[in-house]
Amino acid sequence: MSVTRINVGPVHPSTHGVFRMVVDVDGDTVLGVEPHIGFLHRGVEKLVENRMYLQCPPYMEKLDYIAPMAMGDSYISVVEKALGVEVKPKAQYVRLILLELQRIASHLLWLGTLCNDIGQMFTGFMWGFRDRDIILRLLEDATGQRMFYVNMRLGGLVRDLPADFEEHALKTLDYLEGRLADYTDLLEKNPIFMERMKGIGILKAEDAKDLGVTGPVLRASGVSYDVRKNNPYYAYAALNFRPAIQGSGDNFARYKVRMLEMAESIRLVREAFKRMPDGDATGMQIRLITPKAQNRISTVSRECPRGEQFLYLVADPQKAYRFSIRSPTFINLAALSHISKGQRFADIIAILGTLDLVMGDVDK
Amino acid sequence: MSINSIYGLFVSGLSSSNPLTFLVSVVAYAIIIMVIMSVFAYLFGWVERKLIAKAQYRHGPTYVGKFGILQNLADLIKLIAKEKMVPSNANRILFALAPQILVAMATLLILLLPFSPTLQATNLGVGLLAIFVILGFTPILLFIAAFSSGNKFADISGQRSVLLLISYELPMMLVIASVALIANGYNLQHIIAGQSKFAYAFIMPIGLFIFFVTMLAELERTPFDLREADSELIAGWLTDMSAPYYALSLLLDYTRMFLGGLLIAILFFGGWSGPLLPPAAWLVIKAFLIALFIIIIRVTLVRMRIDRVLRFGWAWLIPLALINLVLTYVLFG
Repeated sequence: MSVTRINVGPVHPSTHGVFRMVVDVDGDTVLGVEPHIGFLHRGVEKLVENRMYLQCPPYMEKLDYIAPMAMGDSYISVVEKALGVEVKPKAQYVRLILLELQRIASHLLWLGTLCNDIGQMFTGFMWGFRDRDIILRLLEDATGQRMFYVNMRLGGLVRDLPADFEEHALKTLDYLEGRLADYTDLLEKNPIFMERMKGIGILKAEDAKDLGVTGPVLRASGVSYDVRKNNPYYAYAALNFRPAIQGSGDNFARYKVRMLEMAESIRLVREAFKRMPDGDATGMQIRLITPKAQNRISTVSRECPRGEQFLYLVADPQKAYRFSIRSPTFINLAALSHISKGQRFADIIAILGTLDLVMGDVDK
Repeated sequence: MSINSIYGLFVSGLSSSNPLTFLVSVVAYAIIIMVIMSVFAYLFGWVERKLIAKAQYRHGPTYVGKFGILQNLADLIKLIAKEKMVPSNANRILFALAPQILVAMATLLILLLPFSPTLQATNLGVGLLAIFVILGFTPILLFIAAFSSGNKFADISGQRSVLLLISYELPMMLVIASVALIANGYNLQHIIAGQSKFAYAFIMPIGLFIFFVTMLAELERTPFDLREADSELIAGWLTDMSAPYYALSLLLDYTRMFLGGLLIAILFFGGWSGPLLPPAAWLVIKAFLIALFIIIIRVTLVRMRIDRVLRFGWAWLIPLALINLVLTYVLFG
């Protein structure tokens, strides 16, 4: 057999956006994968440096367009830190609730696309999107937008949760809990699915640390690192949060971590509703001119659905002097060629699926 | 002339010893079968879309015609009206011919199947063997079609086609042999007559299981749709096919699915035999139900990996098929 070089993407059913990889195969065995990125580069870091603080959240939310809430939150957090603004106690809980709902929505979309990647005829895909939409409707209730919310304000949110939100949300969570059981039935009771996932694409804990991967991919390799636990923000420390950890580091572990994370998020939201203090969650209602920056350099680290997002901000009085993003998927993508060596061609797509890339976030 | 007398003339023509009469009847029969097949493929395409949509909480086609029944026609017109393109590094003749030959072969297979005690193009003594031989050609033709397009994804698809062939052809043949063992021969009418008391599905369920699984592989249906694996190979051997050829391949897809249903119905569920309804109707109903089952599998399962398919074929299906053969021989031989 000779080596065949195959170009996968940028237009390909399974590359999740505009991603291109060059795969060298010997028959069906992969010798090497070379990712090519940058098709979706929008220069967000530079854009942020050229605009005032409150002009930037819409740009930030378009980074990881599957989980815009998390993106907007981490940006506003770093600005709050730079300006020395405290988040109101109730807003901490409201933000946590919205972020966890966003995490479930994001993982549901990932689950749907994963089903497609391993060759199911769009069933899991449609199910995932349908359930995600129910959460998007909830978030629309809370923020007024389906996808790009821009609802974070300095010190809180643009408005408090609507009165009937808790009732709707709890009902939705009950429904989702049943659906998670359905997904588990559909997939884990299926020997072919298990065969495609177990023992495929193993990423060892050591390699995972060396490569710097974060989020569910890292926890699937057995490393107990979750920003929500190790460096808690908002109300995570007050709630009884347990990160989902698996040991084997294969496709199945990455799948399982996200499934467990969804269950954990459901639990967290319920607990947060119970413990939420009374009061006001609205932030500073200012259009453009922010208070003067207190700290020259501020950093913030947030557990986004796809991993740890780390923001670095050097502050000028009214805008960022230097702004830098450590996007989780960009680093996680580095693991692709490492994991893929020696795997089968069909499994590359499954590995790509379990790494859960969003090209907007990779390319920035 | 009444319909019955035309039918009688037709059937006597098919069994005529005069070569000219026979030829004319067979050609007429083939045309009728092709028309019926196309109508069936059309209807089945619609049923599949609706059923898959139901499983996925969608509506499926709704706008064109009542319940969207004309949607496939609209799609067909769109596909045929599109430009016929052949990639510059493709073998033009093979590329254009392969899908057509494939459709022709699927039709040929259906000609050999008995739709009633008399309605059959020719009642070969080795009918089942002939069918198996023609079926065995299909993956090779697919291989040729894949390589003629000169696309790398199609190349991989062609390789997989051959790998699939060696993993499922042998168990399928063993099952066919055990069917022949019970029926005392390869004649399809004998096989159906042999099931007048008990369908072979009840006599050898293992055989039915193996035949069904190998048929899924033969038809490129999930979990064995490796040749068209859309997530990794885009569309496999169809990647570079422009619209008219693709329309043909869709026709082929449904024709072959119906064919698979027909074969399983004949070998394991008593073929055309059944009360009240005319024989051909019984056969079509059985084939339809089996094809529906194939669709349900399609929306549920995920795709197997090619090396696992090979292992599954050699480590499970072949030993099972051998056990089935031995059991059949001991109990009924």
